[in-house]
This record gives sequence, C-alpha cells and structure tokens, in this order.
Amino acid sequence: MSTRPDPPAACEIGLSWYASPRPQVYSLELELGPEAAPWDWQRQLAWPAIATQTLPLTATAPPAISVPIARPRIRVRSFEFPAPDEVLPAVAAAQAPSPTAPDGPAATPHGATRIRPPGDVIKLEDRLLYLLQPALELLLAERSLEFPFPPFAYQFQGIAFLYPRHAAILADEMGLGKTMQAVTAVRLLLRCGEIRRVLLVCPKPLVSNWQREFQQWAPEVPVLAVEGEQEKRAWQWQFAEIPVKIANYEAVCRDRELFESAGDGGRRLRFDLVILDESQRIKNRQGTTSQVVRNIDRSRSWALTGTPIENSPEDLVGIFEFLAPGFLNSDMKPRKMGRTIRDYVLRRTKDEVLKELPPKLFRDADLELTPEQRESYRLAEEEGLLRLTRMEPSVTIQHVFELVLRLKQICNFDPATGASSKLERLEADLEEVAQSGRKAIIFSQWVGTIEILAEHLRRFGPLQYHGRIPSARRDDVIRRFRDDPDSHVILMSYGAGGVGLNLQFAHYVFLFDRWWNPAIEDQAVNRAHRIGVAGPVTVTRFLVLDTIEERIDRILQEKRELFESVFSDARGHRHLGLTQAEIFGLFDLKSPHGPIDLAA
Amino acid sequence: MSSVDNRSVPALGFLTVVDHPQHGLFGGYLVLNKCGRPLEFHCTAPIKPNRAQQILYGPTLAPFLYGEQIGQTLVQKGRHEPLVVCTDLEPVLAVRPHVSMPVVLVLSPAPTASNDTSACIEIPHFGGQEKIIQRVDPSHGGPGGLVRFRLGRNELALSEGTAAADQPSIAERVAELAETFDLGEPFGRIREAIEEAQRAVR
Repeated sequence: MSTRPDPPAACEIGLSWYASPRPQVYSLELELGPEAAPWDWQRQLAWPAIATQTLPLTATAPPAISVPIARPRIRVRSFEFPAPDEVLPAVAAAQAPSPTAPDGPAATPHGATRIRPPGDVIKLEDRLLYLLQPALELLLAERSLEFPFPPFAYQFQGIAFLYPRHAAILADEMGLGKTMQAVTAVRLLLRCGEIRRVLLVCPKPLVSNWQREFQQWAPEVPVLAVEGEQEKRAWQWQFAEIPVKIANYEAVCRDRELFESAGDGGRRLRFDLVILDESQRIKNRQGTTSQVVRNIDRSRSWALTGTPIENSPEDLVGIFEFLAPGFLNSDMKPRKMGRTIRDYVLRRTKDEVLKELPPKLFRDADLELTPEQRESYRLAEEEGLLRLTRMEPSVTIQHVFELVLRLKQICNFDPATGASSKLERLEADLEEVAQSGRKAIIFSQWVGTIEILAEHLRRFGPLQYHGRIPSARRDDVIRRFRDDPDSHVILMSYGAGGVGLNLQFAHYVFLFDRWWNPAIEDQAVNRAHRIGVAGPVTVTRFLVLDTIEERIDRILQEKRELFESVFSDARGHRHLGLTQAEIFGLFDLKSPHGPIDLAA
Repeated sequence: MSSVDNRSVPALGFLTVVDHPQHGLFGGYLVLNKCGRPLEFHCTAPIKPNRAQQILYGPTLAPFLYGEQIGQTLVQKGRHEPLVVCTDLEPVLAVRPHVSMPVVLVLSPAPTASNDTSACIEIPHFGGQEKIIQRVDPSHGGPGGLVRFRLGRNELALSEGTAAADQPSIAERVAELAETFDLGEPFGRIREAIEEAQRAVR
C-alpha cells in the first residue's frame, strides 16, 4: 500500500491584504506522490481534489465624529424708557426764549458728573434709567439751563446726589452753597417734569434769601412766599400755578390743618417735594414743628443743614423721622448710624472740596478778667455755689444754669462798673479792621450785650441784627453793612445771624462770648467764610481764663469729636452730649440722673 | 411721562460687548435720542464659546460672536431705527451685513498730538481682569482694513468693505450731532448698566 500523503485537509493559504480593489489570491501547493502504483496508475495519475475555503474579508469603516457647531442661543433682556419728559407748563411759559439755543445739547459741557441710583431704588429698570442718563452737565446743557457763574464740581455732585433721591440730607459745611445745589436740583426736576409742586420751609429771616437765590439760580421758576394774614395764606397755599412755595416754619405750623387729613370737604395739600432748610429745627421729635412737617403729604423729602448733629445723634434721628420714619433709632451706636445713613447723607467740608478757598484763621484770645470783673465774678460764684449747696438735694438744672449765665455775663462786662477785658481787646482789634477798610461781624449770645457794645463801638458805624430788629428791616441792615463804607461792624446774635446769610464781604469774625455748641459757632463763622470770600477770614474767639468759659470750652471740644464719630465713621464712641452731670460738674456738684438739652 | 410713540424719533444706537473673565460675553445695546437721553436698552445673558468653536472659528470667532450673533440679535430687538449704530469694538463691525443701518467704529481715545500716533482700542472687561488691546496703525488703515475718518469731534472708522457706501451716509446723518456729541461716552454707560444688570441676577 502506497504511503501517499493525504490531500491536505485545508489549503495553506498565503493571504495578502491589499486595499480594495486588488483581487484576492490563494496559493496552493500541489504535491504529487513520488511512488506510482502499477495496479492503479490511472488512479494515481488523477488530480487530487482541491478543497477551497472562502474567508470573509471585512474592512472596518473608519470612525467619524461630527462636531455640531451650534449657533449660541442668545437671551436678551430689554428695557424701554419713558419718553424724555415734557417741561412743566408754568416753567416753560416763564422761560425766556433762547434764540441761540441749538436743537441738540447747548454746548459741550466739561466734566461728567453721573447720576447714580440711590440704594432704595430696587427695580432694575429704574436703576438702569438713572445709570443710562447722560452726565449731569449734559442734562443741564440740554435744557439750556444757564448759571450766573459756573458751579463747582462738588456742587454738580451735590445736584446729582439730590436729583434721584426721595429722601436725602445735604449736610455740607456752611458756605459751600447748599442753597444753590437745592435750587438747581429743583429746577432740573421741574424742567424734566418729575415734580410739579415744591414746598420749601425755612426760618423766617431766610425767606427773602431763598427768593433771591431762586431768582439768581432759577430765574424762570415762579416762586411764591406764603405769608401774611391767614386768609391770604389760605389762598396762597391753594394757588397751584406757582410750582415753588416758600414758607417759614411758624407759618407752616399755623396752617397745620391744611396738611392734615382732609375733612369737611377741605382738600389736603400735597407736594411732590418738601425741603426743610436748617432742618435741625425738627430735631426734637416731640416738638410741634416736627409733627407738623412730618404730616405734610409728599413724595420726596429733603433736608438741608450744616449741623445734622448739634448735641447728640438723637438730633439726626429726629431729622430722619421726617425723611424716612423708623429708619434710625436712638439705640444705634454712632458708627452703625454712620453706616446706615451713608446713602442718604452727603456731607462735604470746605477743606475737602474748596482747597482754593482762602483759609479760616482762628485766634483764641485768652484774656484775664479786669480786677473789677474778677471781684464780681468771685462774689457771684461764691454766693451762687453757697446757694446751690444750701438747696441740695432739691437743686435743679435750672438753678445751676442760672449761675452759669450769670458768670458768663460777668465775663463780658462787670455789672457794677461796665469794665470788660473783652471790650478792651475788641476795640483794639477793630481799630485795625477799620483802618484797613475791612468789615467785621461780632457775635454774642445776648441782645443786651450787643446793645452795650453798639454804644461803645459807635465810631465804627455798628449795625445790629438780632431778634429785636423787625424782619422787614433786616435785609436793609445787611445791605447797609455791605454797601456803606463807614459801617465796619455788624453786631449779631447767634440766633438771628447764625444761619442763611451771605456776608462773605466781611473778613473778620469775633465770637464775643461762646455758644453752647460748636455747630452754632461754626454756622456763625461761615457767614463770612464762604464761597465768594476774597481773602482769609480771621476768627477771634474770646475766652476768659480760669472762668466758666474755659470749662465750657472743654465740653465744646468734646462735642466736635462726637460729630466726627458719626460722619467720619470713626472708631469708638463716648457720649459727649452736654449732660446734667457735666453741667453740675462745672461746679463740682452732684447731679440727679438723665441728660438735658441745653443747646437751642 | 409722555406715551408718544417715539419710534420715529431720530436716534443713535450704541453697541458693545463686555468680556467677563468668568461669565463670558455680555452684549449691550443702548438707543439714545439726539440729546443723549436713553430710549431703550437691551443686554444679553452671558455667552461663552466652547472649545470647539474657539478652534474651528479661529480668528473669525470674535467677529462671528460680537457682530453676527450678539450684535445682530440686539439690534433686531430695538424698537427705534437709529440713524447709525456706533461701536467701540472692531469685531462688532461684522454686524453690518445683517442690519440695515451703517455701523461705525468710534476710536477712543481720539488721536492727540502726542508722540504715540496710533489709536488704542481697548476691549473692556469687567471684574478687574486683563484687557485685550488692539492697536490701529493709521499708516495702513489698521487691522482688517479700516478706513478712518473724522466727524466733528469724533475719530471714526469703517470696514473697508462698507466704507464707500456708508461714509457719506454717516456724514449726512450725524454730522451735526457729532460736532457736540462725544460718541465714545455712552459706552461707559452701557458697561455700567451691564454690570448693574449682572449684579441684579446674582
């Protein structure tokens, strides 16, 4: 039997892979047996059977990744604003035509003071409306609002502060032009149609001053002073065609019924804006004035004051009861109060914003009593203290206060002889003032002192301005002081002359005696040291050593520190108001508990 | 306030984009009347291109996003038809083929007599991050072919492709306004408004 090999069970396949379309090739090795079988050669010669096998050749398609390039979906927030306003008819009618005013912005304004939305404006649309307004200078130019002279940059900032606010205190230091800023903000709001009825409440002597300021800074705005008999006032209050009404605090209090809820068919008066000038007048929340002005129906409330705190932070709480009732409370620490009111109060000092203003030079005239005064003082103090000691424990603050006043008066003049070390010094200083052709303001707490001084200072042409001078004559007094070259001196009481007057033509201020709180003294000094002053203002503070005046002066200094603690957000706090303990302490007396308010 | 339909009031459009380093791009479009008072404002939610878009669009991404996407969307939202749309960013000019009114680049600050004769366009960010600065070299018209010209107190530029058609039109429409109006000023307002809107949604 032959040993031919079996045919291969499977072909050996030489497989080569080529990328299509090359043909597939199979290679077979054909093996012939080396031996022949003689008996079956035919069979041996036959071709072996060829087995084939098909193998699938699958080519994997290359993977492809599609990257979508989606168009971003854009969400848009849209805000449409009311069409820029129309001018109040009364204002438009009063406005003098300006033939040269261009159609667009009147002129390219310098500077860019932006109006920022106040913190209490919550709605985004309202906030954006403020943010998207043009700079204040452009707004004013657009309205063709002209000024008698260019405002300072800080005054633009003050206007931009007031303009959007429904509750605000402009607390600039005296002399920085709070009046001008308020008038211009009112003017702009009226011209933009955002307000139509404005009430300005101020101390009586300042009504005519406000009228003048409106005439100067907003000549096209009709203004009406509400004054005179009751019937006349009633008619004036209802006279709707005049957009700005000015009234003194007393008139407002007298006509309080008009501000209260309408009854018996009467119409309650309503204002878009109420401005309180010298708003420290309402610091006492329980006072009638405070209650009456808080009752006025209004949508905006502004307060103007250079002394938002005269005695204690409680004063500020009182003012805020008018602006935003309940916003402040008496328990707040000064530092927290300072933070809380930050968005409502704008306070600048001359040092900060008027670096070019001539300096204010303080001279402390520390004097000794004359022998006559010293003797009177000693007797009065001994007698007074003896009396107080005998009265203990029933002694009251009034008893102590009487003694304080008595001693202060002796520091001015000896009651028996009229001798006065202050007068001697004052006369010497005024000689110099008069010789240089300058003018001086002399402040005293007492009308009696002013009248005595007027007698002694006759050669300097003194004028008097105090509570006994009728209101109708006061403007004339100021005019004479300004225009009469022989009038070198005006004698003023702190009460009548301390606020609202512009006496920047005076270069000297004398504080003949000291007031109870430094804010009032500052106000007095700033009658002269204000915008427009031509040179340095010299302030002479008379102080008699080793007397009650020296002791009071220490307390005044502490009050200044209190003010700073609120308005400069300073650390630490001490109660620095004039307390009973401090008043009693002037004489080393013990006191019952509880603070008192000495300052007027 | 008046309720008069002011769509026919002559208006100017101001279109810009703020690039926030964390949130992305915010578009803002402000329409002012001829006195500079706002009539309408539109702003976008933030848009952030993904990595693929950044790679695939390459240098054309900014014009695509700023102009074609954000710009076009915002301008189409406007109810007033402005005389001209101003922008302070060159990529926003890419919106021009998609809107009907001329679009002009306000160069800021305008060239002065200083030694540096090139104008500087800052693409502003908010959030205190680094700024991208593109410089336009006046000697050859600037990158991307800008045609610069002065109108009133403003230094302006147009894309080369649109300059021939748009420049006379712009001069005719806003020449008087451009005498007094600082066309660069409203962009500050837009940026503040975008920041305010962004604060509101936080």
